[in-house]
Amino acid sequence: MAKKTYKDIPRVSEAVDGGTPVDHVPPGDLGYERIPKEKYISAEYYEQEWQQMWSKVWLLGCLERDLEEAGSYVCTEIGRESVILVRQQSGEIKAFFNVCPHRGNRLVESGMGETEELFTCGYHGWQYKLDGRFNRIPNAELFPQGKPCDGLSELPCETWNNFVWFSLDKNAIPFDEYMAPLKKHFEPYHFDRMVMTRDVTMEWPCNWKTSVDAFNETYHVAATHPQLKWYLDDMDIQIDCYDRHSRYLVPFGVTSPHIDRVPEVPPPLKFMLTEAGLDPAEWSGHVDGIREAVQKQLREHAGAEGRDYSDLNDDQLTDDYNYLVFPNVTFNTHADHLMLFRHRPHATDPNKMYFDVWMLEYIVDEDEMPEYRPRHKFHEYGSKSLGMVIDQDGYNLPRVQQGMNSAAYDGLWLGDLEVRIRHFHKTLDDYVSSDIEVTEVEDEPTGFRSLIQKLVT
Amino acid sequence: MDLGLRDKKAIITGGTKGIGRVILELLINEGCNVATCSRSIEDVNKTIDKCSTRRAEVFGDACNVSDKEEYEGWIDAMVEKMDGVDIFIPNVSAGGGMDSEKNWWKNFETDVLGTVRGCEAVLPHMKKQSSGAITMISTTAAVETFGGPMAYNAMKASLITYAKQLSQFIGHDNIRVNTVLPGPIEFPGGSWEMIKDTMPKWYDKIISDHPSGRLGTPAEVAQCIVFLSSPAASWVTGSNLVVDGGFTKRVQF
Repeated sequence: MAKKTYKDIPRVSEAVDGGTPVDHVPPGDLGYERIPKEKYISAEYYEQEWQQMWSKVWLLGCLERDLEEAGSYVCTEIGRESVILVRQQSGEIKAFFNVCPHRGNRLVESGMGETEELFTCGYHGWQYKLDGRFNRIPNAELFPQGKPCDGLSELPCETWNNFVWFSLDKNAIPFDEYMAPLKKHFEPYHFDRMVMTRDVTMEWPCNWKTSVDAFNETYHVAATHPQLKWYLDDMDIQIDCYDRHSRYLVPFGVTSPHIDRVPEVPPPLKFMLTEAGLDPAEWSGHVDGIREAVQKQLREHAGAEGRDYSDLNDDQLTDDYNYLVFPNVTFNTHADHLMLFRHRPHATDPNKMYFDVWMLEYIVDEDEMPEYRPRHKFHEYGSKSLGMVIDQDGYNLPRVQQGMNSAAYDGLWLGDLEVRIRHFHKTLDDYVSSDIEVTEVEDEPTGFRSLIQKLVT
Repeated sequence: MDLGLRDKKAIITGGTKGIGRVILELLINEGCNVATCSRSIEDVNKTIDKCSTRRAEVFGDACNVSDKEEYEGWIDAMVEKMDGVDIFIPNVSAGGGMDSEKNWWKNFETDVLGTVRGCEAVLPHMKKQSSGAITMISTTAAVETFGGPMAYNAMKASLITYAKQLSQFIGHDNIRVNTVLPGPIEFPGGSWEMIKDTMPKWYDKIISDHPSGRLGTPAEVAQCIVFLSSPAASWVTGSNLVVDGGFTKRVQF
């Protein structure tokens, strides 16, 4: 029987000057209500969610680094929409719906591309400049009524810290207001000094929220990811909830309270020591001391390696500061790398989504920023390993989605370690005022009892 | 079959946890007094409290077996407390690893010298009484390629040679020396539990390399060690016994 004791991991109590805030911001009273399963499976809710939430929020589009020169573009898809993010001659970046106003054709294929000066629709050859305005309409005399508009439909677009964001809402609230307070959380990591080392998308047969949820709680670690118990503490986490966004701070370099006895330095902790320049064979203390030793080592020797950690606090040198940028971007931020997940909804099916993995690494020497960037890869569900941890989640999620569609299931019954999911749903409800019918549950029913109730009534 | 362990006196290093603990419990059950050590005095005291019976007593103290003076002092103290020693089982190991040269020093100091120094310390007492049994613990990784070219495998291999030649050297004093070579052994808090979580593919491969489809238990190794250490094995010396459920594939001529 695993112990549920807490270790009370020491944490830094003050942010470094200009660094990521460390204050604990508890979620407040979010209650213990069941989250209706319809939010995950109902086609009607899916549509309301699209109209009221996806069409209003700010969304992550691409890396700024991927739009190097004028004419470099990325076409990204979100639900039923496709958006072109393109570098202008002026250097700024603009966003457009990837739709030709003539007959609705998509102008470009999804993914990265380059164009000299123009986008040309493949259907009838209508041409647009980089700023979206019309360049040429073949045989314009055939349209005595004139042009349908000025050109491509433009969207709000913002560039910040190596990332390009857009909103499908032309009247979106200011980006800074939307992101608050995360700008000052992220800037000390200098994502602009990071380069993409992995760019993969996998189609997952589950709702996009089912996927978001899996990275918003550590309660599942012990059962789903037993290997993680040997190098992180899944129980002593600090959970902070802001207006829309949330985070938790997961200590790395210690073992989970679920582990009773550690026979030797576990391989992942050996790796951590080695990466920091310490010899695992020399380690003679308790393994839980590794976190602090690695922090100290990195802090003391960073200068010699040419690495500047002065904007980061000690905990950031080991721990996972895991953020959810509402609605759909998970940032696993670390001192030297970022593991980012983008959970994208399917165009029409609430039981399908696209899971994007972006791995970024910090490059110490600014003059040696590699030009190489891995090509984006797309995999069908289960056709390829995305690594042990994600594979373990990827195994669960479609099964969770199937279970949610069962008559025996009423909705999410969340505990305290899952409070970020609750906070996420509160934010979602702030956007979506849904009138769909949800499964009503009385007193303390079990799934089975609820099923019987439904069968009888 | 009576193992003949009643009222005997055994010293086992690291008898508070894992396989060592099971050996200790088996010996106590047979009515054999046992002295043991751990680096943690709390663990020693807990073992003394929990395992002593009316028939047999557990003695012990904290000791780091890789520290020569501390270790030899501890053995002398235990021999004095029990008024003699019949059985010696050097059980502590520094474990595996290919991190650096330090692994070689650790396995040499703990696995090799922890055995050799212990033997040197108990042998005068055994010689005086013209009887005794020493059972060393090696590994199947000494005789078949396993887990990488690591210090653990090579240092544990040296114990097989040392045990055989020591058995010849002191045989006329009626002191037996044998070696047990356990394969992978799984138990809560052991390395294989950790490997199961952290390297599941390798763990599964090792499982499938066992004809019975499972790893060994501490008792299955401990019983063999206790047998070889007991008067019931009076005609066995200089042997090395593979205890691995058929994990290794070589033919042992």
